[in-house]
Amino acid sequence: MTRPPATLREGGAPPPHDETAFAVDRRAALRFLASSAALALASCGRPSEQVVPYVEIPEGVTPGIRMAFASALALAGYARGVIVTAIEGRPIKVDGNPRHPASFGATDIFAEAAILSLYDPDRSKAPRIHGGLRSWPAFEGELQTQITQERARDGAGLRILTNRVTSPTLLGQLQGVLKLFPEAKWYRYEPVDDDAERGGAMQAFGRPLTALPRLRDARVVLALDADPIGCGPEQIRLSREFVAARQAPSAADFLRLYVVEPAFTLTGANADHRLPLDHALIRNVALVVAAGLGAAVEAPPLPDAADRFARAVTADLKARAGQAMVMAGRRQPAEVHALCHWINHALRAPVDFIAPVDPAAAGHGESLRALASEIAEGKVQTLIILAGNPVYDAPGELKLAEAIASVPFSAHLALYDNETSACCKWHLPLSHPLESWSDLRAYDGTASIVQPLIRPLYDSRTAHQLLAFLDGAVAASSYDLVRSHWQNEAGATDFDSWWRQTLEDGVIADSAAKKVSVGDASLPKVAPGLAPGTLSLVLGPDPSIWDGSFANNAWLQECPKPLTKQVWGNALHVSKAQAARLGLVDGNVVRLRCAQGTLEAPVLVRPGQADQTIEATIGYGRTLAGAIGNSIGFDLNALRRLDAPWVIDGVEIARTGRQQELLLTQHHFQLEGEARELQPRFTLAELAQGRADHLAKPGDNPPTLYPPRANDTYAWAMVIDTGACTGCNACVVACQSENNVPIVGPAEIAVGRDMHWLRIDSYLVDERPGFSPIPCMHCEHAPCEPVCPVAASVHDAEGLNLQVYNRCIGTRFCEANCPYKVRRFNFFGYADGEEYANFGAESIRAMFNPDVTVRARGVMEKCTYCVQRISRARRAAEKENRRIRDGEVVTACQAACPTRAISFGDLSDPEAKIHALRREPRSYALLGDLGTRPRTTYLARLDNPNDALAEHGS
Amino acid sequence: VTLAAAVTDHVGPAERWTQPDARDFNTVNRLITAPLLERGSLSWKTWWIGFAISLVLTLTMLVSIIWLFVKGVGIWGVNSVVVWGFALANYVWWIGIGNAGTLISSMLLLARQKWRASTNRFAEAMTLFAATIAGLFPILHLGRPLYFYWLVPYPNTMTVWPQWRSALIWDFWAILSYILFSIIFWYVGLIPDLATLRDRARGRFARTFYGACALGWRGSARHWRQHEILHLTLACLGVPLVVSLHSVVGMDFAASLMPGWQETIFPPYFVVGAMYSGFAMVVCLAALVRWGFNLQPLITVAHFEVMAKIMLSASLIMGLAYATEWFTAWYGGELADRSLLVFQFTGAYAPLYGALLVCNVFVPQAFWFAAVRRNITAVFAIAVIINIGMWIERILIVWNTLSHDYLPSSWRLFIPTIWDWLLLFGSLGLFALMFLVFVRIFPAVSMHEVRSLIEEETGAEETTT
Repeated sequence: MTRPPATLREGGAPPPHDETAFAVDRRAALRFLASSAALALASCGRPSEQVVPYVEIPEGVTPGIRMAFASALALAGYARGVIVTAIEGRPIKVDGNPRHPASFGATDIFAEAAILSLYDPDRSKAPRIHGGLRSWPAFEGELQTQITQERARDGAGLRILTNRVTSPTLLGQLQGVLKLFPEAKWYRYEPVDDDAERGGAMQAFGRPLTALPRLRDARVVLALDADPIGCGPEQIRLSREFVAARQAPSAADFLRLYVVEPAFTLTGANADHRLPLDHALIRNVALVVAAGLGAAVEAPPLPDAADRFARAVTADLKARAGQAMVMAGRRQPAEVHALCHWINHALRAPVDFIAPVDPAAAGHGESLRALASEIAEGKVQTLIILAGNPVYDAPGELKLAEAIASVPFSAHLALYDNETSACCKWHLPLSHPLESWSDLRAYDGTASIVQPLIRPLYDSRTAHQLLAFLDGAVAASSYDLVRSHWQNEAGATDFDSWWRQTLEDGVIADSAAKKVSVGDASLPKVAPGLAPGTLSLVLGPDPSIWDGSFANNAWLQECPKPLTKQVWGNALHVSKAQAARLGLVDGNVVRLRCAQGTLEAPVLVRPGQADQTIEATIGYGRTLAGAIGNSIGFDLNALRRLDAPWVIDGVEIARTGRQQELLLTQHHFQLEGEARELQPRFTLAELAQGRADHLAKPGDNPPTLYPPRANDTYAWAMVIDTGACTGCNACVVACQSENNVPIVGPAEIAVGRDMHWLRIDSYLVDERPGFSPIPCMHCEHAPCEPVCPVAASVHDAEGLNLQVYNRCIGTRFCEANCPYKVRRFNFFGYADGEEYANFGAESIRAMFNPDVTVRARGVMEKCTYCVQRISRARRAAEKENRRIRDGEVVTACQAACPTRAISFGDLSDPEAKIHALRREPRSYALLGDLGTRPRTTYLARLDNPNDALAEHGS
Repeated sequence: VTLAAAVTDHVGPAERWTQPDARDFNTVNRLITAPLLERGSLSWKTWWIGFAISLVLTLTMLVSIIWLFVKGVGIWGVNSVVVWGFALANYVWWIGIGNAGTLISSMLLLARQKWRASTNRFAEAMTLFAATIAGLFPILHLGRPLYFYWLVPYPNTMTVWPQWRSALIWDFWAILSYILFSIIFWYVGLIPDLATLRDRARGRFARTFYGACALGWRGSARHWRQHEILHLTLACLGVPLVVSLHSVVGMDFAASLMPGWQETIFPPYFVVGAMYSGFAMVVCLAALVRWGFNLQPLITVAHFEVMAKIMLSASLIMGLAYATEWFTAWYGGELADRSLLVFQFTGAYAPLYGALLVCNVFVPQAFWFAAVRRNITAVFAIAVIINIGMWIERILIVWNTLSHDYLPSSWRLFIPTIWDWLLLFGSLGLFALMFLVFVRIFPAVSMHEVRSLIEEETGAEETTT
């Protein structure tokens, strides 16, 4: 990909604010392009308001040609490098940056959905105080008064609250502000915290360290309530490494994953052996392992099955010392983390340590508590909250809403006018990461420059600009701030080329944190856990909307949670034992009571959950999220405590007799008997014995009366490795973004309608989940084609089964006759005049991929194998008078996949890599015996069980 | 033919198809034309009540169609997986009802079942109305109904033709030809009666109207001969047409890949099912016409008895067809088929499936008893039950397969909305409305055929006495 000079620039006086909703029509889009192009021509520093007529097309800008820019997006403060595609000045798609160590060219659902949040019509558009809109100068005037007062008292009343900050520029600015106001304080609170991890490192090594597990080098891993494969800033890297370590054909070289957890996580779903165990007892497993490795601890009692499990794992870990590792999750207390460090040290585990990227020393809870008590003591006069939404997502015991409201001057810079803004005096619109200059560090310390792709849509500012104002700089530009920070930092002789190269790469070379060598880990005192007498509520970030900050993102709200397939809401997950005891079925509303309060919520009965455990995710029940996220699900933050935010003990639940419909996109999970072949799984030994030979193989076709179809061109095919699919959903959202797939909203989901072109079927076999992404199979003998009366479903020469939207009259016979049920019908104009909530807003239209038709009401649609990408590759190839090369076409789902589970290629090319995949022994065609001859085929999941735990999956 | 002969065999001389007091031509003509030409001789109160109710229902249908066009098919309970619902079930049900008129007229005509004479006219009208309503549903059910004409092979700038392999195209032609045939057949049968009406009419408007409709029929021997030939020829065409029509409707499902649909038994099974529900509807209408227009002398208990026997035999065939489906699902050993069978009996729709078996197979067994067959109220009630049962059968054919096919991940249920119900009942209203108007304009019973029946009956009486 060629990248034009990255000299987009923001800053200067913003255009007058338009009260009406932001509108991007053709003219506006052209105007953006023209002005950004003009800026590209202009050198830095000059005002940006010059508008160049479009007839003077700047060099390097061709209408209709996409441009890609490297940038970075933050999740919980940590960067994932991305490459954002813009067309005529509109960013339309996020892909991973292959050079970035936290993305490897792949994405996660949050990165994919950033496009939608950019165009979200609910975004805050102008500064606001209670009761009305204000201008930035009005705010700056008030802030100036405040600054003058604070300067007089050395900033004694000034407090800044942020999320986790990894931006070197912002950290530098914060330091500058703190230097200017010596009495001022900076607090930081990230709702999905790492206090336990940090505490564990402190206990084990006496200093704060971040552990970076090298899963790629591990062969035996025990996850103690840890979820490295689940969502989070490290998800892409860890799941890529996990799958990379599970490629070898022999058991010795194939990572074996043991998981002990109270409720299913994606890590548990991908485990070879999994033990459901109540939260309080998990530390006992760690103690048994430690004792087995010679620690001076007494192995505490465990239930029989758990004890057998723990001993087998210990033996396995010991046998693979040097390649074995234990991980603890954020729900476990610090001492368990410390114990794991000790175990890892004893095992010579492949774990690296770095100094924390997040330099704030205090814990997240601690930090917020300090702020709250300072407010209570009346010490805080000026409170600046940069991003975040602590009023919503902080544990309820702090009563932060009242506290913040009592501060004389408070300002909240955020994308949305949210719960926290409502408690502050001022709400200030924050620029979206795709509109702002900044920089970010990844989990391992690698820094990236955040480049804007579009000028701010609204009258918004960045955190850099606001801090610069505190620092005395009026009308500072983020670009200058970031650039000058790196000018000092880089120390390059030729800074301009360094800068240019860095922007092109999206990664600052050699910026990863240096590995720290740690000494012996000290053995912490861990009191054995006791079998719980009461229920515990264990919490976690939500796999769809994280900590609630994505609550107004409709793609994410409608993204089915990997294990439950729930959309538009959360539920209390109860174990089967509890459900049987209380006579609960899915959707029963229960009253949950704990020391912090009560809550009424619907339950979902979950398999594989420890008996005394209730699980739920945070992030729902937002009140000021926007038209999409308001009043969806229930909010658990009120029940959380600062010192143990993820576990609430002593919980009781009781039936209320009420019922609430849970919105699920899949209702049947169990596969039994012959139906297991719908998602076959084999152990390495079974595969070696040829147990996969009876599967319907690709190309192994039942006879037909029809003559073979002549093929004289490309023959596209896809192979999906269900063994590599971790169920993360990145492909689902990527497909939605690439193909303009609309959302339908909760009411439509309730009726059983959805529009995802790609879904992930999750099945339970022997209580173990597995995932099969199901796009269109592009059957060679497609059942949908002969039944369409108007030939709207047709086959093209390259083997694609295509839907001709403008020919479709909507008989829906194709979907009725599709054995895979992959077709989706526009029962309403989901993208065409009958959109959910504010999804029909003008700004949303700017998000559409112009290469893909937006479908009208009454037509059928489905996966096209990203035919627009194939066409693009074909155009490029034909220009050069060659065939499309193997690997040149990358579908959106394939590009997004963190574990490269999806492969795409041309069967007519004998050299194509896809042939080898189709010939693998575990290759199979889903429902291949129907004679549909699917072009999408699968590789069965492989497990590497430990013979010592003969009962598979125990 | 043999079946029809068997069911009428034991009808003794005393149980003729007409009552003795009506056995002269003038009485027949007067009885039948009274509602048209001597309106004062009847009380029309019930008719008006019926008319008002059916008008309201028709308006309901109109409103639900308008709303459908405004909002889209999303107002129904159809979902991503169960993409078909009431519309298709209603279509199959109505087209089934639309079957019986032609069966009675053509098949029984060819089988020389003279008793058909007193029922075939309104049965044919029923056919016409039912087929028309049935024809609406496939269009209404489209996502983009405005383009329904793309099913027609007309020359167009896109140079695209319909896709001839699709069962829906076969269906389109089957319905179209059936409706056209029904109109012609019905009208040809009506011509001599229209002439009778013209001749008996006293009002000038009626004379002109019926005169124009009678197309110059003079009752000459030549006319009668040619009429007879045309009628028989049409009947010969009609029998294969009606069988093919419903076979094609069966193929809408059978020519697919879905468990529970892909069954070779479907075409004959649909034909019998259609005949079954059609006869049940004819029984209902016969009872109403007989009661409303005092036609007891012409529509006798014997008619109900013989139709009850036909329904009984059809119920046995339906039972056999159901059992065959179960057996083949089990014997075939396909996972999806077996799973679907279990779902039919134990899944969410199982109560409906039970109701279907009761309505279609068990209740009609009461017809083994002559006392039931000869009790018009009982026959009427059972016929209504059969019609309900047949509708349930149609909806379950759609629901069961789509709700429970190959991949368990895609198993979903259909929950009807108010608009589904309104359109269903609205279509019943439209049917009733058309029928009520019909009986006020055209003779509900064929005069000339009843006259020839009486000719035969009196002849038979003479030979027996």
